[in-house]
Amino acid sequence: MMPTGEALLAAHHLTKHYQDVVALDDVGFTISEGITGILGENGAGKSTAIKIFLGLVQPTSGSAMVLGLNASERVEVRARLGYMPEHDCLPSHVSAAEFLTHMAEVSGLPPSTARTRAADTLRHTGLFEERYRAMGGYSTGMKQRVKLGQALVHDPAIVFLDEPTAGLDPVGREEMLALVRKTHREFGISVLFSSHLMADVERTCDRIIVLRGGRLVQSGEVGHFTKETETVFIEVDTNRDGLVAALERRGVAVTADGAGLTIEGPDESVYDHVRDALVEAQAPLRRMAPRRRALTELFQRDGEGAAP
Amino acid sequence: MTAGTVFDIGYQRYTGPREGRARARLAVFKDGVRTALGLGRGARAKVLPWGFIGILVSVGLIMAMIAGAASRIVGAANVEQLNLPSHSDLYGITSIILFVFAAVVAPELLCRDRREGVIHLYLVRPLTGSDYIVARWAAFMVVMVAATWLPQFGLLVGLAMGAPAPVDYLREHWLDIPKFLAAGVAMAAYTTTLALLTASFTTRRAYASVFLVGLFVITTPFTTGLASEIGGTAGQWISMFNLTNIPVHVNDLIFGEVSEITEHAPAGAFSGAVLVSWYLAWTLVPGAVLWWRYRRLAP
Repeated sequence: MMPTGEALLAAHHLTKHYQDVVALDDVGFTISEGITGILGENGAGKSTAIKIFLGLVQPTSGSAMVLGLNASERVEVRARLGYMPEHDCLPSHVSAAEFLTHMAEVSGLPPSTARTRAADTLRHTGLFEERYRAMGGYSTGMKQRVKLGQALVHDPAIVFLDEPTAGLDPVGREEMLALVRKTHREFGISVLFSSHLMADVERTCDRIIVLRGGRLVQSGEVGHFTKETETVFIEVDTNRDGLVAALERRGVAVTADGAGLTIEGPDESVYDHVRDALVEAQAPLRRMAPRRRALTELFQRDGEGAAP
Repeated sequence: MTAGTVFDIGYQRYTGPREGRARARLAVFKDGVRTALGLGRGARAKVLPWGFIGILVSVGLIMAMIAGAASRIVGAANVEQLNLPSHSDLYGITSIILFVFAAVVAPELLCRDRREGVIHLYLVRPLTGSDYIVARWAAFMVVMVAATWLPQFGLLVGLAMGAPAPVDYLREHWLDIPKFLAAGVAMAAYTTTLALLTASFTTRRAYASVFLVGLFVITTPFTTGLASEIGGTAGQWISMFNLTNIPVHVNDLIFGEVSEITEHAPAGAFSGAVLVSWYLAWTLVPGAVLWWRYRRLAP
């Protein structure tokens, strides 16, 4: 285990060019214990970053350290890493128990321990009953659980999950997200969760890193971003225009939102101003409630702002 | 019957030994042997490898039985004059079976991993592409060595048991043992490398198998016919491209006698150094290409 607070992954001026294509452009971040989401559209550089951390691709410049080591120079460090790819990677003719045992051995565990850990891991990922069936007959949800299991069977310090909810129905998606949370909160394994689905990341991760076109555009605590997007929604029966005028006189910016009004990023004093404005405009209050925008809306707005 | 209670003690962190690359290589090697022989798989996976091994062993035993029967008919003293096929001829006789065995079984070790994406999971573990391909090569090499040696041991035991004095037979023919062991390794290295190299170019086992069987089956009559038609040094060189004969020439050099399958091959007129160099070129160059293809492999 890494000491608490020490960076598990660290990228410094990380750049990767594929001939004329810039996959990563001078990216820098650190990832410590917890669940970190790495967000971005296809081609944003998520997979390239993960491959560099796994030591499979050499950066053009900069460095990528994993548990304090360079994975491309020290293959042994991969014994402490787990990876769940997005694409199919399971042999159809082998049972989950046999496959996880084999993968634990390939990760360096002795055979007797590998068997025990394979059985334990399958129980924790919810596949204990079906573990002796050939995986060719598994549903998509079961296959995703085996893919997660093979990434956890050797008890890594950090696990890379590449689009773990891809192809799952709503129930399967919820179960997978619960497993991801359990991976850190109960198993103590840190997670780097790559996804293009902000809703999944928002509900699962402690921190996020947002890449766009190979560049780092945002990073920080999920709570910080969602606090930024707090709003107050107000709906009145009559005299909405009078209320808007009264609020603007008090320096409160409002926007029309359907039949109601929205106040962005309110602080505590806003509620006093709203009370006074309602009295002044004699507008009967029907509803007033705090709201949070989803991360999706925040980054959509950022994207629109960044567009030429 | 007593009632038991299962306690869920939750997830346990692993604090035991991590044996790194050595354990990873061994695991891939063991899995390769099991895959090649269908061990731990259903009956269908066992049919081909064990069927071929059964045929190969049968050839050795049949040769031993023929020698035993001939010894009883013409007498032990006269059986030498019959010049019956023995250890030096066995690889020549079984070479096409060995090639088909390699062509059918070896692709299973590589093609499935790439087709099903398992290779991506290997390469993110403490294992390099070189480690993976060397372990897979070693696994199939072990299986091929077993497949070449087993018929020779069957023949040896059969000949010894058929002789009037088995111990005397073994004392007189003990030198055949290191010879067939060495020739078997040469045969296995050649077939393993060519079969795995072909398998590395496709994700479909059937394509690799058909290509390899076609290569071995077609080049033999084609080169034999063309070499005898053209004759001379050019004919000799054309004969060198008979892929089934390349390791058999090495077998002939090891035993110091020409086996039945190569006695009419024009390539046999080349010196031993040329024949060995040709064999090494057909083993080491494909081996280097195979290693190079996997060395920088990444998901």
